[in-house]
Amino acid sequence: MDQNNSLPPYAQGLASPQGAMTPGIPIFSPMMPYGTGLTPQPIQNTSSLSILEEQQRQQQQQQQQQQHQLFHSQTLTTAPLPGATPLYPSPLTPMTPITPATPASESSGIVPQLQNIVSTVNLGCKLDLKTIALRARNAEYNPKRFAAVIMRIREPRTTALIFSSGKMVCTGAKSEEQSRLAARKYARVVQKLGFPAKFLDFKIQNMVGSCDVKFPIRLEGLVLTHQQFSSYEPELFPGLIYRMIKPRIVLLIFVSGKVVLTGAKVRAEIYEAFENIYPILKGFRKTT
Amino acid sequence: MVLMVYVCKIFFCRFSLGDARRPLHETVVLVEDVVHTQLINLLQQAAEISQLRGARVISAEDLLFLMRKDKKKLRRLIKYLFIRDYKSKIVKGIDEDDLLEDKLSGSSNTNKRQKFAQDFLNSIDQTGELLAMFEDDEIDEVKQERMERAERQTRIMDSAQYAEFCESRQLSFSKKASKFRDWLDCSSMEIKPNVVAMEILAYLAYETVAQLVDLALLVRQDMVTKAGDPFSHAISATFIQYHNSAESTAACGVEAHSDAIQPCHIREAVRRYGRKIGPLSPFTVRSRWAASVVTIG
Repeated sequence: MDQNNSLPPYAQGLASPQGAMTPGIPIFSPMMPYGTGLTPQPIQNTSSLSILEEQQRQQQQQQQQQQHQLFHSQTLTTAPLPGATPLYPSPLTPMTPITPATPASESSGIVPQLQNIVSTVNLGCKLDLKTIALRARNAEYNPKRFAAVIMRIREPRTTALIFSSGKMVCTGAKSEEQSRLAARKYARVVQKLGFPAKFLDFKIQNMVGSCDVKFPIRLEGLVLTHQQFSSYEPELFPGLIYRMIKPRIVLLIFVSGKVVLTGAKVRAEIYEAFENIYPILKGFRKTT
Repeated sequence: MVLMVYVCKIFFCRFSLGDARRPLHETVVLVEDVVHTQLINLLQQAAEISQLRGARVISAEDLLFLMRKDKKKLRRLIKYLFIRDYKSKIVKGIDEDDLLEDKLSGSSNTNKRQKFAQDFLNSIDQTGELLAMFEDDEIDEVKQERMERAERQTRIMDSAQYAEFCESRQLSFSKKASKFRDWLDCSSMEIKPNVVAMEILAYLAYETVAQLVDLALLVRQDMVTKAGDPFSHAISATFIQYHNSAESTAACGVEAHSDAIQPCHIREAVRRYGRKIGPLSPFTVRSRWAASVVTIG
């Protein structure tokens, strides 16, 4: 790469002042974009060769711009290699198929916060909902509306649906441990009411996280380039619904930059999904 | 009538090209008129069908039945229903209160609308074409074009404009349901539409506005005679019409808003669409161009 530094800017596209065809830059350098051997610099030369180069340079710039617009995610996240001249274009990957690529870049630095955890547990015995509703505090039961007792506790702040089969759903916790703790508390309440409640098959069914990327996002661009994964119907719902395949998470992306992630069974899936989407979102950042 | 002018205005903001953020008032009024007429016609036809069925309310089935001839439109409607179901399902899982609400209401709402539509089409489908739509994964060209247009528009906007644009996109006829109902003036009718039917009508109203704008943009594009157009020598009767309309463009009073859609564009679009007059004209597929147009009225 040293030879690039030593050549003056105007001559970098030429091997020699006589205008030989071979450019002075090794074609197979990993720094070069595919298929071109020129750098986008203004060349004042008026020889026929330079006109050809001019055309090629303009083409390359156009290509870059197009690629720049569509595949932002690849260009922005790679830093220039040490020793390279700043005059080189940043290395562009060739046109890749439209899939959410996971670039090997620095992490976003934003950690999604868990907002809601839904878990289920089996208390292992049949329950008499009327008894529970009558004797427990903070319990409501309306058999005509819904065939379960709705119970709430304040710490951790959660709601439970308790069914006569002994199955229970616990919602509203902000972490896995809190969800488990809350479920245990509900089980103890049921136990104290005289039922032989156990604590079987506790399982987290769904985790919801949210965060803010702190910049506005141009959703129209995102829905066009990631059509297979996104659906955006603003008259129905102000956010774009993005179905990520790996991990299997659904993201709700809003113009304001807020992102909601749902459908996770473990916390790591939420973090992974966010790290996947962050570079893509950066590419569709709405700049003023 | 006046109630909807505001909504239509905002719709235009989002659909118009480039910087026509303030659509012409005359155009908006005209579009509202056209949409209103179309919907009233559709409602009346649907009422007739309900009566045939012996039902007391107009339901979604009647509307689906009316649209059975236009596959593309029907497919778009079904996709819309599907997305609606899907969105309810997702959003429900987010908030614990929503989750509770859903459980309390007792119904398994997942895919309710789409399943319903599928069942109905199953019952009327004799050749299997309608059901094939559900498995069909073809790209909806009109929707694709709209997405691309929106993408082009938004790329050049700044943050403030974009925020306004997004807000305007979120407006829909279904949000102000009671106003929509009043505007349609269902009270004079014997048979009224039910909730699901109203949803579909709101969607159709929205689609009509969208289609009108798509067509008006096409018309406007055609009116500009291109220098190197190889077909300019093959003048057909319709082309002469363009010129007449082009003159009336001048008469229309082309103001500073040269980017905004003029009422004459809308009129030309409707005229082209309604060229064939006859009792079955809305239900015949005349050409690819016409087939993509809304099948009501």
